[in-house]
Amino acid sequence: MKYLECFKFLASKRRDELVVTSAGNSNQAWWAATHDTRSSFYLGASMSLSTMFASGLAFACPAVKVWAFMGDGALSMNTGMLFVERQMDLPNLTHFLVSNGCYGGTGNADLPSRNLENDYVAIATAMGLKRVYSFDSLEALEAGFDAAVSGDKPGHTFVVLEVERFSEEDEKGLGLSPMDGPEMKYRFGRRVEELTGADVFGYRV
Amino acid sequence: MSKKQRVATAIADQLASCGVKLVASLPDNWINTILATLDADERFDHIAVNREESAIGLCAGAYMGGTGSVAMMGASGFMTVIYAVTKINYTYEIPVLIFVTLRGAFGDYQKGHASNGLYLEPILKAINMPYRIIDKEEDIPEIAKIYRHTKALFRPAVIALTRDLLG
Repeated sequence: MKYLECFKFLASKRRDELVVTSAGNSNQAWWAATHDTRSSFYLGASMSLSTMFASGLAFACPAVKVWAFMGDGALSMNTGMLFVERQMDLPNLTHFLVSNGCYGGTGNADLPSRNLENDYVAIATAMGLKRVYSFDSLEALEAGFDAAVSGDKPGHTFVVLEVERFSEEDEKGLGLSPMDGPEMKYRFGRRVEELTGADVFGYRV
Repeated sequence: MSKKQRVATAIADQLASCGVKLVASLPDNWINTILATLDADERFDHIAVNREESAIGLCAGAYMGGTGSVAMMGASGFMTVIYAVTKINYTYEIPVLIFVTLRGAFGDYQKGHASNGLYLEPILKAINMPYRIIDKEEDIPEIAKIYRHTKALFRPAVIALTRDLLG
């Protein structure tokens, strides 16, 4: 499946979900698909922690659905996070594992497993996750998305998206969110306050 | 009540008084009574994490959702989170209060913690991390003040608990 086509489809299915992206390609792809500056937190300055950040957010906002993107490079760095996700079992959190077999944020360097096939469904299942899905084509994703992700679910959802690596040509047309850290924090936090009534910053303007 | 339990209860009360709900931790022998106390306390959700960086991520996300949180870890664990703290908390200006053990200080005879004795405080200073050493029960009320300071200034801070306090 083409990375950008996959993300454009996900963007078309997104309603009020808060989104957290990881460092690297998911950051670029979600920005390209949405140009969202309020309800997405582009966690570019952090490797392998997007779903932990999203877990804290989903814990704090149980009435809001949270989507978190992470590449398989990030999963390689911090696979044990899946134990934490299993422990928390947050029904409002979907972890999208974007599998392209490389560290997309660093020039598509191969993962340690190089050309071996990594079975992320087997890994997640063996680590105790219950709601595990995998899609390797846009057609399959379109057909199975609602059953996997839409609506209220009984627990944490883990979705593997098998995508092609970006080519050099692909990357030429991609940018990153131009916001710096504090601006992103305030925009996103104010959106959380709107959605939930929570007091994020301790004051309102 | 033992001194360990008294300290743990006092710390729990401090955290509750400033609205902390989520505690993310990786254990250290010195803080196990605190962790067990928080785990059993219905005022908190205690999440045991796989590594200390995950605690930093969890707490940052909880903050962005408007929920108070703290991270607890040993000194060695803190040494592994410099990346996460400087990337997440410094880049986005997200506060977090991190409890660490002051391993390797005078009175800690564990040879494996010699490096923490040598480098923990210099590293805290090197990354401009405000920190406070608490080694007496009467200083525990400082915790709420420091927590509120982190939230007001959007900065992380560290509270280092000593063997004399926890022993």
